[in-house]
Amino acid sequence: MVALVLGDTPALPLHTAGKYVAAAYIVVFAIVLIYVAVMAIRLSHIERDLGELLELSERDEPAPDAAAIAAPEPESVLP
Amino acid sequence: MYGKGLRALSISTVVAMALALALVFFYAPLEAEQGFLQKIFYLHVPLAIVALCGFVLGGLLAIQHLRTREARWDMRSYVVIHMSLIFGVATLITGSIWAKGSWGHWWVWSEPTLVSFLIVFLLYATYQPLRFAIEDPERQSRYASVFAVTAGAFVPMNFIAVRLSTAYLHPRVLGSSSNLPGPMKLTFMVSLLAIALLFATLCKYELTAKHTRQQVRQLRRRLAGDGDAAPRRGRSAVPSLQGVTAMSAPSSGRTGL
Repeated sequence: MVALVLGDTPALPLHTAGKYVAAAYIVVFAIVLIYVAVMAIRLSHIERDLGELLELSERDEPAPDAAAIAAPEPESVLP
Repeated sequence: MYGKGLRALSISTVVAMALALALVFFYAPLEAEQGFLQKIFYLHVPLAIVALCGFVLGGLLAIQHLRTREARWDMRSYVVIHMSLIFGVATLITGSIWAKGSWGHWWVWSEPTLVSFLIVFLLYATYQPLRFAIEDPERQSRYASVFAVTAGAFVPMNFIAVRLSTAYLHPRVLGSSSNLPGPMKLTFMVSLLAIALLFATLCKYELTAKHTRQQVRQLRRRLAGDGDAAPRRGRSAVPSLQGVTAMSAPSSGRTGL
């Protein structure tokens, strides 16, 4: 099967040419992999920032019960 | 939004890459002179073509930025050039590996194709330091766009100059893609499509990530109570989408730069 796929004997022996071809494809794969890893790190930073913002928004938001107690009722001041 | 269509694009890229690899190793015949080593051609040449087209595209997007003064065009130009540089690195490394296998040397200075690509790469390698050197965002984006347009015009001129040169030492497996036999041509075209899709997908990922990050920063400022204040921005080479209407969608995000 391999002989059928590869056909005639290459100019460089396969064991010599193969390592160069493998190196070229592995290098490109590694570059894409490194890029994806960098993107994953950035994504984790965004996720962390969003978590902090969620906490911040929950802290700033007044509790519904407390707001109701704090708000003056107009009817109560009327004679 | 920048993330729209990202999933379909990613799936298309994976399918095209898998198909290209299958064609390269199980369908394309061996070339008579170089044999198995010629398989690098299906990776190296599409990477070089896409990188050079990316540099030109970066220049076209920069023209759009200079015409409209909209920050989103500057961001797109920046991302496309940034990605082309990464593809350029891959081109140089795979080219060196091919040269080593073919000629026995990692680099041949007398070969115009190699040297001209290196010149283009080094020219664009100054793009990021140029941006970083200018602190004022408005000036930074304007100068970077002028650089991108000028350098973008240099790329096809450089390509034509190399073609007109008389030295043909580069291992031109076949003179041009039009001379390729059917199976090799098909494999090359699919490989080119796969690499172009990979380029587009990574650009879209980068744009989406940058836009999301800037939206998060804007949200943080709003929650901190200084949402109307001008964004505090340290020295950075990355263009800012934030400005007058930073939280708006990119399609309507004219920022006053």
